[in-house]
Amino acid sequence: MSIRFENVYKSFGPKKILDGVSFEVKKGQVLFILGKSGMGKSVTLKHIIGVLEPDAGKIFVDQFEVSSLFTEEGRELLPKVRQRCGMVFQHPALLDSLSNFENIAFGLRTPQYREKIGKTLTEAEIEATVLEKLRLVHLDPEILPLFPYEVSYGVQKRVSMARTLAPGPDYLLFDEPTTGLDPLSTSSINELISELSRKLEVTSIIVSHDMACALSIADQILFLDQGKVLLMAPPKTVVKSEIPLVKEFFEETLSLLPPNWSLE
Amino acid sequence: MNALLKKGLEKSIDPIMDVLHEFGGAWIFLGKVIKTFRRTSGYRKAIIQQVAEVSTRTISTVIFAGIFVGAILVLQFDTMLRRFDAEALLGGLNTSATIREVGPLIISFLLAGKVGAYTTAELANMRVTEQIDAIESLGTDPIQYLIIPRFFGVVLSSVVLLAIGLSVSVVGAILVAQSFGGINIYQYIASIPRFAGAWTLFEGLVRSTIFSTIVATVSTFKGYTASGGARGVGKAVTQSAIYINIYIVLGNFISSSLLEWIHDLTYFVIGVFERIFL
Repeated sequence: MSIRFENVYKSFGPKKILDGVSFEVKKGQVLFILGKSGMGKSVTLKHIIGVLEPDAGKIFVDQFEVSSLFTEEGRELLPKVRQRCGMVFQHPALLDSLSNFENIAFGLRTPQYREKIGKTLTEAEIEATVLEKLRLVHLDPEILPLFPYEVSYGVQKRVSMARTLAPGPDYLLFDEPTTGLDPLSTSSINELISELSRKLEVTSIIVSHDMACALSIADQILFLDQGKVLLMAPPKTVVKSEIPLVKEFFEETLSLLPPNWSLE
Repeated sequence: MNALLKKGLEKSIDPIMDVLHEFGGAWIFLGKVIKTFRRTSGYRKAIIQQVAEVSTRTISTVIFAGIFVGAILVLQFDTMLRRFDAEALLGGLNTSATIREVGPLIISFLLAGKVGAYTTAELANMRVTEQIDAIESLGTDPIQYLIIPRFFGVVLSSVVLLAIGLSVSVVGAILVAQSFGGINIYQYIASIPRFAGAWTLFEGLVRSTIFSTIVATVSTFKGYTASGGARGVGKAVTQSAIYINIYIVLGNFISSSLLEWIHDLTYFVIGVFERIFL
């Protein structure tokens, strides 16, 4: 059970986004992908769920080679890969036309989910699952009948997380989950991610700029720069790194960490 | 000098290449929509909902425009026919022109403005806010979930709207012919079958189906492939409106030529049959 990139290349027009990226995330691990904006972090995540097709290289999610599923026959298997990976997008990406309840229940009503669990959920079962996921993201059931535009951005982010968790994915992919949030909401979302990763024991890949959060949650930290993997190592190694970009990130973070902070 | 000429040539060729590129993209997209529709099922409710939404959103504009389309044509034809003392032909000529040509064209332009722009903006907004990516990531095909109901909603509702628009424009024409032209209403109606028969209705139906397919394809395609935030949404809507109008005018020319050819061929075959068997 792992997600593996083997020498993946991707360009948009003349701009190289991924330039021979290789890494592996094993079951139960939490991987943080850090790097400056526009260095291919979100593109990496979108390759895992097959929203983007690589120009070259191989991507594996468990036994599936995602990079080979862009053929006519392969497309039939893509939903199966996506069922394993729950993605929380940079923006909440909730469907405007559906209530918060229907947004969370969306993944539970798909044919792929029915196939995965071998039955169609009753409305009562769907409601129970929605409420359970809502508790996980610390939200009140009062927001369920409301539409996404009727709740705050922070609540939308949590609803989006609940939607991702609902079908029970094996992998959680977070794309800059704290973008656009105030410092208090940022810290509560970071705590939530940490809690979910520990409680649900799922493999998580988190794209972020937040080194402080990465140091406290991650098993591995991967630095992307100019489309290449600059470093992939556990936090203990990262803080000692002499690579200029990594040092820069760490020094910026030091001022944000509490005085008694330690990796232990 | 050569470089300047080359640059000038490139600048004038670029828009043509863009139109061709978009045209190719739209065809591939249409193929994808039809393919997905053929291998999946369970759209009835969603399509009916879209037809109802599109129709209610556009019906008032269609009725308003329909009345004036009929009225304007009557005034134009009346002026010309009076010169030849041929006012008796007004009803037939006006109805035939409305059903075959002006009705489908005007209603398609209205659909492009109201439904096409709305559909493109809605889908483009969903694309740039990653809602479409989210649908995909939850294991649902966005073409199946978002595009097919909207596509068939536009195509089917245009048939409903065309029927309403044409009926209204015929009524509007009769009212104007009687009030302003002093034409006898019975004379007007009696001349209709001389010019507008089953073939006229068939032509109107074929044209409006082609035009509404253009509206549905381009508006969903431009919305689905939008990128670049709020600016990208605006760009997609503008391009959608431009390309729909260009393709409708082109489609009108091609369908007119083809229908004329089919019409002549049909009468030629009928003539041959009559000579042989009668």
